Amino acid sequence: MTCLVVAVPGTALAYLLARRSFFGKGILSTITTLPLVLPPTAVGYLLLRLFANDGLLGANVLGIDLNILLTWKAVVIACSAMSFPLFVRTARVAFEEVNPRLEDMGRSLGFGACRAFASITLPLASRGLVAAALLAFTRALGEFGATVIIAGNIPGQTQTLASALFSAQQSGNESVANNLLLVALGVGFVTVYATEHLTRKSQKTKGGSR
Amino acid sequence: MSENSNLFDLSLRLPLDRFELNIEYTGSARMLGVFGVSGSGKTTLLEYIAGLRKGGRGCLSFSGESWENSKEGLFLWADKRRIGYVPQDHWLFPHRSVRGNLEMGKRRALEVGVDFEAIFERVVEVLELQSTFDSRVDRLSGGERQRVALGRALCSGPQLLLLDEPLASLDRTLRRRILRFLIRVRDTFDIPMVIVSHNPMELQVLCDEILVLEEGRIVERGSPEEIFRRKSMFDTAKEQGFENVFSGILVESLDRTITLELEHEGQPVRLRVPKVEGSVGDRVIASLASDDILIATEKPTGLSARNCIPARIEGVEETELRQFAIASIGEAIPQFVVELTQDAIDELSLKPGIDVYLVFKTNAVKV
Repeated sequence: MTCLVVAVPGTALAYLLARRSFFGKGILSTITTLPLVLPPTAVGYLLLRLFANDGLLGANVLGIDLNILLTWKAVVIACSAMSFPLFVRTARVAFEEVNPRLEDMGRSLGFGACRAFASITLPLASRGLVAAALLAFTRALGEFGATVIIAGNIPGQTQTLASALFSAQQSGNESVANNLLLVALGVGFVTVYATEHLTRKSQKTKGGSR
Repeated sequence: MSENSNLFDLSLRLPLDRFELNIEYTGSARMLGVFGVSGSGKTTLLEYIAGLRKGGRGCLSFSGESWENSKEGLFLWADKRRIGYVPQDHWLFPHRSVRGNLEMGKRRALEVGVDFEAIFERVVEVLELQSTFDSRVDRLSGGERQRVALGRALCSGPQLLLLDEPLASLDRTLRRRILRFLIRVRDTFDIPMVIVSHNPMELQVLCDEILVLEEGRIVERGSPEEIFRRKSMFDTAKEQGFENVFSGILVESLDRTITLELEHEGQPVRLRVPKVEGSVGDRVIASLASDDILIATEKPTGLSARNCIPARIEGVEETELRQFAIASIGEAIPQFVVELTQDAIDELSLKPGIDVYLVFKTNAVKV
């Protein structure tokens, strides 16, 4: 779910940052990257302020209650906020590695801008985009700080792998903690390995044949 | 379109880093060459015509169709101009096979009413691409990539073909081979072309008219026969590899040499040149460096050189760096440029109107 929420706007933003020059690009890029360097709890607290009743997206301002806090939606929002920068940075590199001259070639063959993107840039960046999605997934899987602040740690509702592992360790339930550790290690290893593999392969093909 | 109307109507001012591209050109050459040294603005001009570069002031129309008019706010991107663009670095699509690359322009070709299947077959035949069809493009040789890039552009049904240094990235042998393909393309598809190059040889072979660009401005304009023989142009042309270019019919094939007959209405002119693939009756393009030719005022005897051709001196010129004579060997044959020292010119009393012999070795001719 987090991957879907991150991938569509993340791809658009990454393409924009990779290809276009515009006023405020540096600021936009910095804001996008910020969650990567802030303490997750700070991001969680920021989201909490945003979705609290008196926050910018709270019931008092919007006039309706989005019912986000302490629900599964809060988990998705927290995980998305934390993994979005990783997705955008990886996807941006994927787009930057596709030489814009290839799009020019498409234009000279009658492709409009959208078709050039869909038929040339997107397929050539696809490995990098999948790698970005995998990294975002891994980051979401490990997300803890921001999630517990706005979603809590409610078993069966808002508990994530990371918070379940924390609970198991805190309550001395070693066998559950060990099992969860194995799952985290397995999923993490596979996704990071796949990401490395995809990144290596994509670097070989993106430059265009000169 | 009537025969006299102009193909190109171009007025452009485009600021670049070092100078301003400032081009005024109206003309109807179907094979237009743009010659200039590196950094003279040739590629920028081609990208501008292609609709891949914005930001200039002026107007451009091709074949009566307006592509850009900055006063009216009109600018058509490349996809609306129906051009075929072959960049110097080819830029083939690495995620497609050769066939896939050739088919990338299919939709545009069909939209403009071109019989794609017919043109596809013709392109594959003319450019000899059958054997590479299913290959990945990163496995192709330089010459194959050039042919695929050319084929991809042709298959999209262009009304104008733009070639950027089509032979620059190739070695000498491959250059000759690709040049033959370009001649075939010119003779088969009858599509107007703009060819940008810093090499006088390919422009002499392919073009009807040459524009010489220097720091973004057209400084000379004329037919290839005259332009590279101009006193003002010769030093630059020579530095960029100028050679006398001529074509002849293969009339005799020997063990290691062939005989070429140059087109001439009067006495046929026959030259002995190195062996090249081909059969009797084929047209062969050959070139000869201007400093590989000797001039004799009387017919020499006891010579090992196999070519001794009667000619008439049409002019003797002196540039900053060189002295050269222009010699004519027949009305329909391009004049030959012969480099000489001042001593030789003085001793032989070379001046326009005198009859001489041009002497050169078989192996001095490149085919």
